[in-house]
Amino acid sequence: MSKSYYEFFCPVKIIAGHSALEHIPFELSTLGAKRPMVLTDAGVRKAGLLAPVEAALNSGGIEVAAVFDDVPPDSSLATVRAAAALYREHDCDAILAIGGGSVIDTSKAVNILVSLGGDDLKVYAGAHNLPHPLKPQFVIPTTSGTGSEVTLAAVISDPERSVKLPFASYYLMPNATILDPRMTLTLPAHITAMTGMDAMTHAVEAYTCLAANPISDAYATAAIQKIANNLLTAIDEPKNADARLELAQASTMAGIAFSNAMVGLVHSLGHATGAVCHLPHGLCMSLYLPYALEFNKSVNGARIGELLLPLAGAEVYAKTPPAQRAQAAIDFIRRLRDQLHAKTQLPRTLQETGKVRRDQLGEIADRALNDGSIIFNPKEADLGQLEAILEKAWG
Amino acid sequence: MTAHPVSLRAQRAYVALMMTVISRGLCAASINDDEVRREVARFAPGYRIVMTVFPDGPRFALSVSDDHRFVRGDFSDAEADLVIRFKHISHAYLVFTFQEGTARAFANDRMVADGDISDSIRLVRCLNRMEALILPGLVARRAVKEYRPLPLTQKLRTAGGIYARVAASFFGR
Repeated sequence: MSKSYYEFFCPVKIIAGHSALEHIPFELSTLGAKRPMVLTDAGVRKAGLLAPVEAALNSGGIEVAAVFDDVPPDSSLATVRAAAALYREHDCDAILAIGGGSVIDTSKAVNILVSLGGDDLKVYAGAHNLPHPLKPQFVIPTTSGTGSEVTLAAVISDPERSVKLPFASYYLMPNATILDPRMTLTLPAHITAMTGMDAMTHAVEAYTCLAANPISDAYATAAIQKIANNLLTAIDEPKNADARLELAQASTMAGIAFSNAMVGLVHSLGHATGAVCHLPHGLCMSLYLPYALEFNKSVNGARIGELLLPLAGAEVYAKTPPAQRAQAAIDFIRRLRDQLHAKTQLPRTLQETGKVRRDQLGEIADRALNDGSIIFNPKEADLGQLEAILEKAWG
Repeated sequence: MTAHPVSLRAQRAYVALMMTVISRGLCAASINDDEVRREVARFAPGYRIVMTVFPDGPRFALSVSDDHRFVRGDFSDAEADLVIRFKHISHAYLVFTFQEGTARAFANDRMVADGDISDSIRLVRCLNRMEALILPGLVARRAVKEYRPLPLTQKLRTAGGIYARVAASFFGR
């Protein structure tokens, strides 16, 4: 059935390919920016990933005005305030975020403060509370998973109140995201696996949940095909720049897909597990993906079955009877997880993580039931059904 | 789906009537039905909810009482903790004529929720439960994502109680 109505929005310029970093000075100049602040974390600096960016900027006549490299994995209000102070102290006029999800979210929050003034980020929390566009902001992802480089959202911790503050606004979407394979060549195998499955889940849920639309479908299926064809290659050959670039593009495409088509049960369970057990988001996605698809299969088996084509290719798709395609797609994902486990020890079950206790499953189910993503899941899930899925995922 | 042939004025009148019925139905269900009662108990006392249509209604406002029930309220959108706003009267009409379920309407960008998203989900569950209780199965199937038939005696007993309270609320003030 065709979609009766939908909306699609992505104004982020994608600058992708070999030597993409070298295009940044020109792009900054088109926005009138000359003094960018680089925002990153210690891991990125230690991996030497700032050097190619600084070289690219210098060769284009732009000097980095300030570097803030102290973003923690779970960024906080204090971090945002400190970075905003540095931006103001050095009279910067743009933000260049280099890192993964936490760095990107922090850069969005810093941009709120330096563009709108003040030090109290809390007044801007919630949906669409920003009154006008922000300063120029570019994102250079160093992982291929979160999709945050093309989304309108950011999450920042408020440790004093033990809550996570969500921010959502079209003005939080970066002006441009730069996908250059040099930035992911040093990503360790297990992080490559985890973030790859994160992107895979974004795309699969965008395609199979209620808010899917024809344009998000195009991004989602293309992302799935790229991940299926390149994830294991990037793990076997970490310096393979072509495979890295394919994964970076897939992650961004999956981000565009899910930010327009939303996500479902895998994310509900994943958000809850992250909150209760502090497991990385990408790992949670990988843990729950096949179990949630099996749960949903009775309602949208045909949609899941269509994913066999981008996952396994035309030959396998053609040979598989339509009634068996959904299960074949789920089996493909299970085999992919087995291969990732063999190569990188990426856990496949909650038990294998060693960080989840069985007595926590009830709390995870309870939180998942109230997670925002669950409304977009194609099949209604009650508390008992969530507990049953968690039991299967326990292993 | 093309624009609905029913005139906008008629749609507005129908949606206004349904919002009145539904807000009273939610208040009644929060007394009569265990499942809705459990959901409402998880809202903080004093929590304020508005469901409205852009740009100027119709609307209803509910708050949560100290004894964890929905009660009809009289407060502005700005004073509410959660505002669910349909983007157009025709979108609200689709939902309140049960041509489009609430979850599907969210997925089709028919409305936006301003407030804690978990609370929105909880409110949708309350709506779904109430609709499953008071609507005939044939209609309820279109209104909710998954209709789970209730035993006839339970449906009649609970629905009867909700209908009685809704009727009483119309005559009560």
